[in-house]
Amino acid sequence: MIQSILDAISLGGLYALAALGLGLVFGVMRLVNFAHGELITIAAYMLVVTVNLPLIISLLLTVLVTAAVAFLMELTIYRRLRGVNPAIMLIASFGLSTVLQRVYELIFGALPKSAVVAPFLNGAFKFAGLSITISSVITIVLTVVILLAMGYLVEKTSLGLQLRAAAADFRTARLLGVRSNRLISAAFVLSGVLATCVAFILVVENPEVNPYYGVNITILALVGIVIGGISSLRGAALGGFVVGVILSALNTLLGNGRVYAYSWLFLLVLIILLVRPGGFLSKGSELERV
Amino acid sequence: MEQKTFHADEISKSFGALQVLDNVSLAIKPGEIVGLLGPNGAGKSTFINILAGYERQDGGTVTIDGVPLDGRKPSDRAKLGIARTFQSGRLFGNLTVAENVALGALGLGNSRKVAEDRADEVLEILGIDKLSRFPAGSISHGNARLVGLARAVAAHPKYLIMDEPAAGLNEDEAPRLLHALEQVRKNIGCGMLLVEHNVKLVTEACDRVIVLATGILIFDGLPADALTNPEVKTAYLGSSGAH
Repeated sequence: MIQSILDAISLGGLYALAALGLGLVFGVMRLVNFAHGELITIAAYMLVVTVNLPLIISLLLTVLVTAAVAFLMELTIYRRLRGVNPAIMLIASFGLSTVLQRVYELIFGALPKSAVVAPFLNGAFKFAGLSITISSVITIVLTVVILLAMGYLVEKTSLGLQLRAAAADFRTARLLGVRSNRLISAAFVLSGVLATCVAFILVVENPEVNPYYGVNITILALVGIVIGGISSLRGAALGGFVVGVILSALNTLLGNGRVYAYSWLFLLVLIILLVRPGGFLSKGSELERV
Repeated sequence: MEQKTFHADEISKSFGALQVLDNVSLAIKPGEIVGLLGPNGAGKSTFINILAGYERQDGGTVTIDGVPLDGRKPSDRAKLGIARTFQSGRLFGNLTVAENVALGALGLGNSRKVAEDRADEVLEILGIDKLSRFPAGSISHGNARLVGLARAVAAHPKYLIMDEPAAGLNEDEAPRLLHALEQVRKNIGCGMLLVEHNVKLVTEACDRVIVLATGILIFDGLPADALTNPEVKTAYLGSSGAH
């Protein structure tokens, strides 16, 4: 039971991080960046191919490469499309996602690449007579640390204040002198850093990395930011957490019926949206949907 | 031309065949409050959008303390000392009042600490410092107008353009705005352009009034004289006079 609760919290935290990465970019660009999944994928590949380096070096390299891909994504594609119809941006992000999957296939091959990243996180320990997996505890600790760091950045720094303002009303933020290029680039780089954190937690538990590795969690994180409140960073993190917890609980409760976990999840999401169309943390008028 | 002046000289603007502004000139000195009156469609919004850099004029020049502003973006003009408030308020409802005001100072490149200190200072000047920790989305309309004013003032303006700050205010709230404008003049000393439909507020707050009608400047003088000017009465107030 305790292990199930820890699993639910750790999965919730993981999805909260993924949703926060998506929410940051949505906040400043009103862009649902489907290619966020490919940031998670490249981070996972980097962790696998640099597995023989000391972990800290491997992590630093992974953060650098993933943040650079995120930065270039914005600079070369989305910046040129800024101001076009949101539907075109959405399709562009789909296209970019597909192109990157093909590129990864060319570079790393279609078959999964595998390596044991941070082997000290595998295994279990005894607590009050119960067997607890190390990875679930570390995931929770890591998630809490990252969310606290993000919370500090968003609440206490100039960049964070501008990000929150831009997430609520980008046009007015610009009119007040917020530098849009710098802010959007920062949001993409931060989303790349968060994608690295997500990839690290994922790879520890599932080291079979393929070109579609980040797609599944990205779709579920998108569900999270929609039910959390699409214009709120707190809502995005909360929504992601709720999706992770519900999915984990469904997997536990459904037993052999867990193949239907996604069906139940999306049914619950529909009910939540019928009750709170703007998400948990909406302010009533935030009914924007993509 | 005076050096310490916000100056608009013979501004003209057309939208297609429609002449919206026809050689409109204006000068505001530091510490002076100038009212801009005019009926709907007179060209007031276009004029202040040109002053703040949101629209380009077809003819004429805008200068601040002798520095030409033509072709400069609103953010550049803000750095040179032009701030504006918005008719719709445009507060960030998810941020606190203090954070909304601090954003005005952050836009100039100040650090978060400096911006927060500036926000505290301005909120105190305007007498709304008790609201600083409240979410901006939770405060009354009257207070929201004052917060919008505070955010503009936080940007250290030399000249402040206010777009209908009294819109939607009731009889109790309008005097608070008047008091706030006096506090801004006393403590900040910036020149102010007040675009407003509330004639009573304009006459009480302003040192001078200009009146636009169909894009033409028909009056520039003392507020009391505007109310008795036959041309103004006909064009703006109606033949029955001010209310």
